[in-house]
Amino acid sequence: MLPARARPVSVVLVVALLGALIAVPVGQLARTAFASGWSGAMAAAGSRQAVLALEHTALVSVLVTAFAVICGGALALVVERRPRRSRTLLRLAVISPLLIPEFVLGFSWSQAYGPSGTLDRAAGITVPGLLGPTGVVLVLTVHAIPLAYLVIAAGLATRAEPDLELAARASGANGRTVLRTVTLPLLRPALTAAAALVFVTSTNSFAVPQVLGEPAGFATMSTLIFNDLNLSASPDVFNQLAVVALEQTALVLAAILVFGLILRRTATESVRGPTTVGERAAVAAGGHVASRITTALVGLYVLIATVVPLLVLIGVALTRGPGLAPTPANWTTSNFADAFSGPTWVGLWHSLVLAALAAVIVIVMCLPTVLGTGGRARTTLGAGVLLGYAVPGSALAVGILIAYGSPLEGSAMIILIAYLAKLWAVGHRPLSAGVDRLVPEHAMAARASGAGPLTALGSVVLPPLRVALLTGAGLVFVLAVQEVTMSGILYGPGSETFAAVILNQQDLGSDGATAALALTMTVPLLFIGLLLVAGRRRLRSPEAVA
Amino acid sequence: MALPLHRPFRLGAALALAATTAITAACSGSASASPGSSAATGSYTITMYTSATQKTVDAVVAGYKRTHPGASFSIYRAVTGDINARIAADERTGGVRADVIWGTDPLSMEAYAKDGILRAHPITVPAGIPAQYSTEYLIPTRLLYNVLVVHKGFTPVPASWSDLTQPAYRGKVAISDPAAAGSAFAVLGYFAQTPGYGMAYFSKLKANGAVQVSTPTEVVTDVADGRYQVGITLDSLVRPAIKAGSPVEMAWPEPGAIAEYSPIAVTANSKKTAADAAFLDYVLSKPGQQEIAATGWQPVLPGVPGPRIPAGGHEVWPNWNALFPQEKQLLTRYQAIFGA
Repeated sequence: MLPARARPVSVVLVVALLGALIAVPVGQLARTAFASGWSGAMAAAGSRQAVLALEHTALVSVLVTAFAVICGGALALVVERRPRRSRTLLRLAVISPLLIPEFVLGFSWSQAYGPSGTLDRAAGITVPGLLGPTGVVLVLTVHAIPLAYLVIAAGLATRAEPDLELAARASGANGRTVLRTVTLPLLRPALTAAAALVFVTSTNSFAVPQVLGEPAGFATMSTLIFNDLNLSASPDVFNQLAVVALEQTALVLAAILVFGLILRRTATESVRGPTTVGERAAVAAGGHVASRITTALVGLYVLIATVVPLLVLIGVALTRGPGLAPTPANWTTSNFADAFSGPTWVGLWHSLVLAALAAVIVIVMCLPTVLGTGGRARTTLGAGVLLGYAVPGSALAVGILIAYGSPLEGSAMIILIAYLAKLWAVGHRPLSAGVDRLVPEHAMAARASGAGPLTALGSVVLPPLRVALLTGAGLVFVLAVQEVTMSGILYGPGSETFAAVILNQQDLGSDGATAALALTMTVPLLFIGLLLVAGRRRLRSPEAVA
Repeated sequence: MALPLHRPFRLGAALALAATTAITAACSGSASASPGSSAATGSYTITMYTSATQKTVDAVVAGYKRTHPGASFSIYRAVTGDINARIAADERTGGVRADVIWGTDPLSMEAYAKDGILRAHPITVPAGIPAQYSTEYLIPTRLLYNVLVVHKGFTPVPASWSDLTQPAYRGKVAISDPAAAGSAFAVLGYFAQTPGYGMAYFSKLKANGAVQVSTPTEVVTDVADGRYQVGITLDSLVRPAIKAGSPVEMAWPEPGAIAEYSPIAVTANSKKTAADAAFLDYVLSKPGQQEIAATGWQPVLPGVPGPRIPAGGHEVWPNWNALFPQEKQLLTRYQAIFGA
């Protein structure tokens, strides 16, 4: 899109950024991991703790991927094929758990369904094993279903062919046969992409295992890295931490490779179909009763997954002390006052500024990546950008700390670097999809008519990308405000983020104050998230980084 | 940093603001790097790592600033484990950034001293503060008491620590994890050292169905919720729960509440020796100790009244100097009984 002579400059710029943001930190991590040689690294990797953490992480990721893709796929099939009017609300309902920060989801589930949680005291209801592996898998699945749903729904929009399904039905195939022989094969690429995304996300997950796994002694790689840091005065422990972080990076990259290979195979197998509307099939596929059952089931799911935990969170935030019923007689605002004593406002301000800066800078970084390069260079650089998202947050943070800690440790700048490395891909994805839909001739015409390169960029190229730019910036902003893994490791005196303040509050303070902070974090993000989801409909690509 | 955050937040406005405040935000974390005056007068910044309660830190810092208008603070407040992580990260990236460290339990602070991070004899401890509270590096600031929290109305209220091993309390007792909470380590240390209890005390507790949860805060929550009827926790956590109306009571078992002190220390890296000493002197002065007492803690300075101790309530002390070298060994023996 940019003039040809700008291209080499763009490529050099992007490669330099990739090097500084991703290659150097991961390289430093590797150097630390192998500081005492191959045998030292192997010994650290073979320790009981490290092996258990690897097993737990792999187990959790595989189970969450399987459950989330099955549930997300089923939901996509039933919801996306309904008439447009009844679809919108159900879509928002299904996506809602994704809009709640992972930490808040874990904390509110433990308050709602955990031992001596609100429901336990009110009605003796608990989710058995919530504190432990079962709970970690369950809540991560709830968080991941919307991710799988979004990717599969996008696949349905571009791949499913109602005409083929109708033809199969007309030829006498029953619903199950159609699903097995027509719909699912066509959806295979979307299912694979969804599985890859969910696998990477749950391997990287920190907050849910920390809140629900840690009390039961169930450690994953992310929580082991975090807790090793707490004991890292000892060089052995720091060495183990670097080894585990590197292992975790390798696990994620291996998974991406495998899913990539599967994706390549399935993509060449299936025929790319034209974009079609799914409504006709919907009418053919199900009657009113089935549609009501769907609505009821989705409603029940959202009630259990988000509504009850959020209501309980409100109750805990408003109740004076532990052991009291959340009834008006026990209500107070003092939890909010407690929660906002100390550096909370400062942390909130830091989070907002860091998130806004990250959003702006990520978009600026994306411009040379998507506009200044073309063809294979763009694909390759795009893959490099994606790496930053794939590298687990805790591993990335430790790498950045080793690489840039000397001048920057504990400063807001080092957190910003981590956000840029991690969230570059999140801005890149919608923008890259938007550029794919641009007509290159428009820019050429503008240039031929005498417009300078910047004029052409500003007047012809960027305006149609507005939605993509806003979506990208908005997503980076929301994810940066929610981010807790990296800022929890990197913040220092005077550079605390809001998420770090909440994590501290949970460790040091009362449940009431933690709940008050969690609510403060969730409500505005839920609002921005819903706006983004509504706005996304104008842009056909999923915001998810697949 | 006093920006109008109460206004509805708008993305556009934030982006515009971001450009102008970028430098502020980026620099705020490195405030500690700015050279401070080496005298307690003039303007200087003290960087403090602390696990003390926010209210207490705020009150003490505000009190100090009233008499030292040039002072400002850069504070990193987190649980002990996170402070360990911060110090470890500091040491790998150019040395400890803190001037002052104010901890909760002597054990982790003593470990810093052993690593050579702390400065010996930063101030002269005021007269009247028992010598057993301080070491070469650690200065005591307040006392914490391990006591019993009892669900309201539950009888019989335990009169002594050994009552907890009786059948009346089978399956009803919660304790916190000494690997996670320094105060729980004080409990472990006291019983392990004291004739008549020993590690056998924990075996008996376990056999009587006592359950280990994570932190002393969780003990209070669980007892208030009625999940357990009795728990070992800190007095400073029980009082606010009682005040908030939670259904709990405090019991002060015999032979006494297990006491520990919360130490403060100056780092060897600090270049602001006079300012650090002035701050520590303030924390141990009458006004400083009054701020500590007003936020719910027992001061160490005689003559400053703290939260009321029940009539006839005694206190007992673990021998910290004997405990320091035994940390790992004691935890291993404990975990063999209350394994994760």
